[in-house]
Amino acid sequence: MALIEARALTKVYRLGRVDVAALRGVDIDVARGEYVAIMGPSGSGKSTLMHILGCLDTPSGGAYRLDGEEIGGLRGRALARVRNRKVGFVFQTFNLMPRMTVEENVALPLQYRGGLRRRARLKRARALLERFGLGERIGHRPDELSGGERQRVAVARALIGEPAILLVDEPTGNLDSEAGAQVLRAFREVHAAGNTIVLVTHDPDVGAEAARTIRLADGRVAA
Amino acid sequence: MSFLEALLVGLAEARRHFAQTLLSLLGLILGTGSIVAVLALFGGQSKITQDYVAEVGGFGTVIARDRELSQRPTATELASDRLTYGDARYLKQRATTLGAVAPGFFEEMDYRVGGVSFQGPVIGTTPDYAVINDIRPLVGRYLSDLDVERQARVMVLGWKYADSLFGAAETALGGLVTLAGRNFTVVGVLEREEFYFAPWSGNELEYRNRRAYIPITTAFSQYTGDDEHLSFLTLKAAHPTGARAAQQQVTAMLLLRHGVQDFDITPSGAGANDDAQFFKLFDFIFLVVGVVSLIAGGVVIANILLASVVERVREFGTRMALGATGFQIFAQVIAQVVVIAVIGGLLGLALGWGLTGTVAYFMKMPAAVTPTIALVAIGTSLSVGFAAGIYPAFRAARLSPVEALRYA
Repeated sequence: MALIEARALTKVYRLGRVDVAALRGVDIDVARGEYVAIMGPSGSGKSTLMHILGCLDTPSGGAYRLDGEEIGGLRGRALARVRNRKVGFVFQTFNLMPRMTVEENVALPLQYRGGLRRRARLKRARALLERFGLGERIGHRPDELSGGERQRVAVARALIGEPAILLVDEPTGNLDSEAGAQVLRAFREVHAAGNTIVLVTHDPDVGAEAARTIRLADGRVAA
Repeated sequence: MSFLEALLVGLAEARRHFAQTLLSLLGLILGTGSIVAVLALFGGQSKITQDYVAEVGGFGTVIARDRELSQRPTATELASDRLTYGDARYLKQRATTLGAVAPGFFEEMDYRVGGVSFQGPVIGTTPDYAVINDIRPLVGRYLSDLDVERQARVMVLGWKYADSLFGAAETALGGLVTLAGRNFTVVGVLEREEFYFAPWSGNELEYRNRRAYIPITTAFSQYTGDDEHLSFLTLKAAHPTGARAAQQQVTAMLLLRHGVQDFDITPSGAGANDDAQFFKLFDFIFLVVGVVSLIAGGVVIANILLASVVERVREFGTRMALGATGFQIFAQVIAQVVVIAVIGGLLGLALGWGLTGTVAYFMKMPAAVTPTIALVAIGTSLSVGFAAGIYPAFRAARLSPVEALRYA
């Protein structure tokens, strides 16, 4: 059974009086353990697709199953629960909490999940940060870190909840080439450890990292 | 996420946004502080009023007065002797609800000692008068039952008159005073009486220091030709709360003796509240100031929170992406407010306490911050914070995750 099963996904935005179709019927399957890149020019609908796959947004039509769970009918609280348990996000702009320490940032998804005490959450965050070579940085604030370090903290935060899928949006867009290479190496390790990664980018070099590429154009799968 | 955890997060947030917290706190502290001070001083003021009522006769005191003749008086009305010393003696013997009966004769007379002379009030009464009005001699004694029985030519002087006529209370004792041509021996001088609503207002009881007391029987025999009509009749109930019962019994008994209602029986102390009206206005102004500053504090908090929500739209978007529900976002913002409101309330309480102490000290007013006032203050601060936080928190919770993440 595929981890991601999307059938005939559509998304229509209302801009004033005009309806704009961002997705016009997208079918996607991603198997467990895959490393997939979604590529396409801006306006092709790849961001919209990522938001729907990440349960941040709901499709206007079609069916979407994530890890065996039907997502289409879910709203609000239920969607938040799916995001918390099954999806790990990595953003282009890192999106770390500036006033929290590195370990607090990484532990944040566990706080929203509930069940673990603060001490236990921070212990798990520290263990994960050690694995990413950031053990020296646990007490620092994000603005005391380099860009590459920040993005690796963000990857650790995305993985702490052991999600079914890692959704990555232009991970190297704000990094220089060396830091970018570092981050991409981290993804390779994460993938090698058995995690499923869906990466959205318009950079061919980054897209080449993935084993499979899905191309979007005008809201449809091109090839 | 438990409520306690939400509070801890709120505390951490309040600390991380220190400047915002400080500004919000200031509004709450000033508002709560002034409300605490107003309530404490207000409480002190009502205590003053109570003290004054107790001083001028106390609760449970009843006054009997002649009623003015009606437009067309009946024969019984015209034939009545009105309130007399006989009525007073009758009530003293028979009225079971009464603890003390003080009949009174009142007239302005000429005082003279050697070369010093002036006109002033003279009161003819009985020993009960001292009981009802809580007056005590400084030197010598008050009037006695024997004085009344024997129509003795003795007098008790108010403190100020003793001072004016003899230069000092001690030298007045045993001295002779001529009252409207008749000589009296001074057997006592009363303590100086004083009561101030505020340091800048005059002595409310000074009039009591400017008078003399003589036995009522002497007053009648010497000055009225045995017409025993009373100028006033003050009664005190046997129990402090028995004024109403006393009022009823006395009315019934006097009605039987007079055959017509040519008198009025009213509780004393009611008028004392009028004197306090001025201070009520004062309190009211303070209270308005307190409420206005609290509202201002609330508006400041709402504004700052709203700005901080707008500033952190992307942060909320990220938190939602990590799995925060709308309610958790709402709780986060509200928890921040609760923490600020509790701290603000406590500091405001401290400020109000200091303010009360200072005002009470310099104005010599009794005032105390009671546990009730403290609770009211904290409660008010909390409700203001809550009211101010609800809308921003709601706005944050209602954000769409996608739009929040896109927000620049």
